[in-house]
Amino acid sequence: MTDATVTAAPPSRGRRSRTRSLLIHGALIAASIAMLYPILWMVSGSVRPQDELFGTTSLIPSSVDFGSYLRGWMGLQVSFGQFFWNSLVISVLATIGNVLGCSLAAFAFARLRFGGRNFWFALMLGTLMLPYHVVLIPQYILFLELGWVNTPLPLIVPKYLATDAFFIFLMVQFFRGIPRELDEAAVMDGCGPFRIYFRIMLPLSLPVLATAAIFSFIWTWDDFFGPLIYLNDINTYTVQLGLRSFVDSTGTSDWSALFAMSNLSLVPVFLFFLFFQRLLIEGIATTGMKR
Amino acid sequence: MTVHPTVWVDEVRPAAAPRRGTLRRMLARNAPGYLFLAPWLIGFFGLTLGPALVSLYLSFTNYDLLRAPDWVGAANYVRIATDDPKFAAAMRVTFIYVVLSVPLKLVFALAVAMAFNRGIRGLTVYRAIFYLPSLLGGSVAIAVLWRQLFASDGLVNMLLWKAFGIEGPSWVSNPDYSLYTLVVLSIWQFGSPMIIFLAGLRQIPTDMYEAAEIDGAGKVRQFFKITLPLLTPVVFFNAVIQTIEAFKAFTPAFIISEGTGGPINSTLFYTLYLYQEAFGFFRMGYAAALAWILLVIIALFTAFSFLSARYWVHYDD
Repeated sequence: MTDATVTAAPPSRGRRSRTRSLLIHGALIAASIAMLYPILWMVSGSVRPQDELFGTTSLIPSSVDFGSYLRGWMGLQVSFGQFFWNSLVISVLATIGNVLGCSLAAFAFARLRFGGRNFWFALMLGTLMLPYHVVLIPQYILFLELGWVNTPLPLIVPKYLATDAFFIFLMVQFFRGIPRELDEAAVMDGCGPFRIYFRIMLPLSLPVLATAAIFSFIWTWDDFFGPLIYLNDINTYTVQLGLRSFVDSTGTSDWSALFAMSNLSLVPVFLFFLFFQRLLIEGIATTGMKR
Repeated sequence: MTVHPTVWVDEVRPAAAPRRGTLRRMLARNAPGYLFLAPWLIGFFGLTLGPALVSLYLSFTNYDLLRAPDWVGAANYVRIATDDPKFAAAMRVTFIYVVLSVPLKLVFALAVAMAFNRGIRGLTVYRAIFYLPSLLGGSVAIAVLWRQLFASDGLVNMLLWKAFGIEGPSWVSNPDYSLYTLVVLSIWQFGSPMIIFLAGLRQIPTDMYEAAEIDGAGKVRQFFKITLPLLTPVVFFNAVIQTIEAFKAFTPAFIISEGTGGPINSTLFYTLYLYQEAFGFFRMGYAAALAWILLVIIALFTAFSFLSARYWVHYDD
């Protein structure tokens, strides 16, 4: 690890720097435990006896019982299996839409020459700041008229129209870094714009496309406001809405089952974190993602 | 010089513009660009600009989705400004939330980023651990967890009892404290600004510190004379983004208060109030006015930030 080389201090200061480093690591480990304690508490809370949740601060359960997962899964009149399926469908389709819609627009902004390009680009940047609430009510009326309320369509279709300007901006920045000589050479070889987009841009932009895809998926998966407004029929609920109903129906009577379902709802996000941590962190470092 | 056959591509050397713009040539030049832009254009007009203008119109009406909108002039705005205690409460709650959570979150983020920047063993592991809450924190699951943690018999009170023998209150259901549990939740998610700070710290050349060391400047002086000034663009960026996000916060307040914004409006975030007006009472016109006020607040804040940036943000040139 390259980071380690930096700590190597000159020999005369060896002992001092070792105590220093021990102190820093001690503090960081303590802080790490404090940061993760709530999450670990929820994990252990889902399998421990119910009364232990309110009697001990220890993370180690006295006995382990996975019954809460079964109770939670079947806790509402529709099973969480249905909610997970709904969430998965919405998140996958929305992610594809976001990547497709935004990359098309980004390609036009970064690479094609057409009248009014700067004008549209400025407008696109302007929408970055617009709070969603300003378009919320007319959009709701529109989707109501179309008969799309209580279907996942209002949560999916807009993504194909590149409404999330942030991702366009992200991709434009990346596309601009790809050497233009490649396009020119392709044009000389007789490639049209679609071939350049598919054969040159997309393959060379896999890192930014992956970053955009992962963040789209996580944000859609976690989204609560959108589903809350558009999905009222329990059969169409996402996991987040299911959890909320579960809070309302059990109140605070079955915390283990509530924790069990909460844990399950975090699993997909956690998997992305485990496998794509570097992409996530680089994405944030280079673009200033908000979460 | 002949006109390049493919005028739609953005070249390294721009070709001379065609002198005689026949319709066919204009189409050939612009069509590919607009073809690729078409989905965004449809979305921009149909889902952004159009709806924004419609909601501006609705904000001057009473509208309940059933009957046609009824023009009332500025009545909604007048009522919001003069005769709406819930609006006043929502503004107060949101303002306190923004003013407390954003600076504290940024201070934590910067402090941890600076500890990391010294180059420590296992940086990637620590960084991942500190980032995790930021990634998970927006979900309903974490809001549910927060309700348990700060309940009267929750984990926080158990810890307080064990460590200090203090019997803590029911934080989430006490109007004096409920908002602060949400502030803590927000600070807990300092991971992403931390990563941005870390990237910014890496840009500061180490020889500046070496020079300062030779000149006899201590660590504190180095922080205020080198680190902080050179980091102001990143501080600025983080502050603007986090403030706008804080204004729009919704999920944790909704889950913790079961959608009421209670107890006694103490967690009535602005967006939660807007949601209640629109989808609880179906006062769409009134909610549209609230939305436009939110837009103006965010726009004013952003404009003010960029104007003030001239005086405190340090740019290279």
